[in-house]
Amino acid sequence: MATYSNQHWLLSHIRNSFISTDDTGICETVMLSDDMPKHYLRKFQAASIMDVYRRSHRSQASQQRKSMPKTPDTATPTQRSAPLQHMMPPRIADPPLQEVDFVCYPGLDLSDDEDLDMSTHSFDIQMYPEVGAHRFRSNTAQKLEKLDIAKRKAARIKSVNYNEEVLPPDRKDFFKRKEVKEQPREKPSTSKTTAANVKRPEKNSDDDLSDEGVKSMLTEQLARSPKQTQNRFIEYARFDGTAQVGMPTKRINVYVNMLPEPERNYPLKICVLSTAKIIEVIGLVCYKTTLQYPDAVQLKSVQHYALYMTEDNDDMDDFPPLDNREPCSKFGFSHLTLAERRPLAPVTRIDYHNQLGTKSMTSEEDKVAMADAAVRALQNINLNGDVPDAGGGDGGGESPLDHVKEYEQRLLNHNDMLEAPMHRTYRVSIIDKRFFKCDVTLAVSGERIEIDQHKNTKFWTQRKPVSTPIDMVAHCEIVEQRQLKALLRIWLKSNSSSSMTTSCTSAPSTASIATLIPGSGSVGLIHSPASPRHQATHSSSSPFGLFGSASNIRFKHYDFDTDVHTAEQIRNKLNCILEMRASDIRREFLQQRERKQEKQLAKRQLKL
Amino acid sequence: METTEDQLILATGGYDHTIKVWQAHTGNCIKTMRFVETSQVNALDRTPDKTRLAACGYQCIRLYDLESNCTAPVINFDGVQKNVTRLGFQEDGNWMFTAGEDHRVRIWDMMSAPPHCSRVFDCQAPVNAACLHPNQVEIAMGSQNGGVYLWDVKSEVHEQLVPEVDASIQDVAISPDGHYMAAANNKGNCYIWQLSSSPSQHLSTMSPKKKIQAHSRSILRCKFSPDSRLLVTTSGDGTACIWKTEDFTKWRELSIKNYWVWDAAFSADSKWLFTASSDGIARLWKLHTKNCVRDYTGHTKAITALSFKDEIVAD
Repeated sequence: MATYSNQHWLLSHIRNSFISTDDTGICETVMLSDDMPKHYLRKFQAASIMDVYRRSHRSQASQQRKSMPKTPDTATPTQRSAPLQHMMPPRIADPPLQEVDFVCYPGLDLSDDEDLDMSTHSFDIQMYPEVGAHRFRSNTAQKLEKLDIAKRKAARIKSVNYNEEVLPPDRKDFFKRKEVKEQPREKPSTSKTTAANVKRPEKNSDDDLSDEGVKSMLTEQLARSPKQTQNRFIEYARFDGTAQVGMPTKRINVYVNMLPEPERNYPLKICVLSTAKIIEVIGLVCYKTTLQYPDAVQLKSVQHYALYMTEDNDDMDDFPPLDNREPCSKFGFSHLTLAERRPLAPVTRIDYHNQLGTKSMTSEEDKVAMADAAVRALQNINLNGDVPDAGGGDGGGESPLDHVKEYEQRLLNHNDMLEAPMHRTYRVSIIDKRFFKCDVTLAVSGERIEIDQHKNTKFWTQRKPVSTPIDMVAHCEIVEQRQLKALLRIWLKSNSSSSMTTSCTSAPSTASIATLIPGSGSVGLIHSPASPRHQATHSSSSPFGLFGSASNIRFKHYDFDTDVHTAEQIRNKLNCILEMRASDIRREFLQQRERKQEKQLAKRQLKL
Repeated sequence: METTEDQLILATGGYDHTIKVWQAHTGNCIKTMRFVETSQVNALDRTPDKTRLAACGYQCIRLYDLESNCTAPVINFDGVQKNVTRLGFQEDGNWMFTAGEDHRVRIWDMMSAPPHCSRVFDCQAPVNAACLHPNQVEIAMGSQNGGVYLWDVKSEVHEQLVPEVDASIQDVAISPDGHYMAAANNKGNCYIWQLSSSPSQHLSTMSPKKKIQAHSRSILRCKFSPDSRLLVTTSGDGTACIWKTEDFTKWRELSIKNYWVWDAAFSADSKWLFTASSDGIARLWKLHTKNCVRDYTGHTKAITALSFKDEIVAD
């Protein structure tokens, strides 16, 4: 072991300690260029080396010449230029004034390469990268410490034997009978007789029991904290896994990105039930944040936030956020960041619209649709805040608030949107002629909707499956909803209009009660709610009869009977697809409907 | 986060083996304490100085310090057999009573350290309920074989009644003004006695007053309001009913559909009621409007016991 009085050893030990304990690595870069022990040593050696050489030469020479031994050297320690440069501790006695006692530690200066020279390192300090600043301890050490803590805890817990001997109290007044004083019910009634008399009619009422003039602290505190001040995330409190017994929990360190500077650098340590979904984890983090930093930040609803993968130095990774619907037990991250949900990358949107562009743009309408889609796509980007595009494109009709609302809406639907274009089938019944139901499979995907009749239909004649490109679909709604069943209506562009006929050859040519003008080619009538014969009769009473006059496009619909849940699913999915495509048909449909409603309203008002 | 005096707290415990401490007016959970891993919480009570919380369950009685951050108990009872169903404190905190399915009600001297048992009463049957008379010396008890007892801990005289055969008494209560005693059974019936005492006698005399057919299913708790004008009965039929003690007619019915209402507690001014139910949510009701004004969510299983200590504020 080295002596602590040896400066050389001390200096190099300090240096090594600094380097080895510094996680940032900055220490090393600074110290690398400034190796003090070596620096000093070199200085001395430079000063002494000449002497050494001179000495060794001289001694060699003298030895050869069998001249005098070294006694004169040892006898001259005070002489600056005469070191006792022999055997083991190479004592350097020549340095400039303040370094007189700098003694080279044997071995430390032997090698320039520190890696080779293990003796310059302190063997005691070994760092394990896994545990930060802590050293691994042996299992026994840990167990011992646990035992120790348990023992100390137990010492604090007083233990009482339940079955011990009964020891009657020695004090006589241990059990003291107390006079039950007459309750305040008498007092206020006497003191407030007049008041009570005045209020008599009110008092008689059934509801008035509680008014006694006393006020509890709870009443007071509740009055001071109206319900609005209650934590909005309180429903997520139940996912807190702290002190939960017998339930799997998970500990996560979450950096809350919305917090101001000092706080956001420290993770919020949460313990959450493993069964909680990611959205619930977000809620819990929001709850904890509002509790811990009540004034730091005004949090929005949980849908605004997402959990992102994070390095433990709180750098957010560029990966998409964790899926809200997954249980948190699925992920093994120790550190996460809660941040505002990043909008979809703009590319996804534009790419989606590019599909439109690949179609041959034969008709004028296609071009219009294309342009419209492009404008919409641009708007979407705007709303997402990805491209700081000049917002003038949207005509200024909408207030910024509308934008925010729409944006929120979009975020809410984010997951739905991702899922919507996926192909899914539903078993529903199509309603024919308003009376007959017929079981069919309705398939909805990002490209088309398909209606396929079940094979086992009995007395109805088999029909061809129908496929309609999604471009032709305008809208989907639930028109009637009962306890369990719902009537779902899908609106599509009627084939009878002049344009866009090319793309929908497989669609039913005409089938609608809503078509004003009887379709021209009503041959392939399949699954239509009304036969062509009906069209004429219905046309006059059709609520959408005015559509025809407004534009060239006519709409028809299919009605399906199904349960409420499925109906909602189909409606959401389909509308989501349609919204994403920002199709012209849909816009046209909605506009027509709005106009229609306005007119009806105007008519009604006129009547009144 | 500390439980200071001006902060009213609600304590709840249940089948998830935890005890939670809530800030009463906000509904925020302040603290969660692990109870015994093998037991639900049967009853909770706070020491009159409000610093400690006592909890009992299957084979255990524990006292927790509410003022420290430590979630470990400060006092633990060893060797407890069967369920301990009720506990409560004398108004100065001098002693504590516990009632258990080992047929015994015990009085614990809490002034000595460690606490020791200074009285035992044997009910000959599992004791389901016990409650202290406001005169601080009489304890009412209800047993599983249907017996209702009134016991004077000072003179150790007692009296026994059986209001209904083949029914188990689930809870007993004595009104804070000392006028009434109520005992509720598993048939949904609630029996009321008028209590009267004279200085010459040791034990209050019980005279039957009324039988209320309160619920269609077992009653789990009954409690008088601090002003003695109301009586609440909570039941397995998903309701808590509030009765006027004036004539014992039903005044309010609070409903938590399809869930058992395990426990209830009034505010000091008898205007609010906390309920504990098997949906794992404690609720605060404004009795005047029957509105639920606060939810205390966090328990993962049924809440079976709650404790709330309020104060009257001087105007």
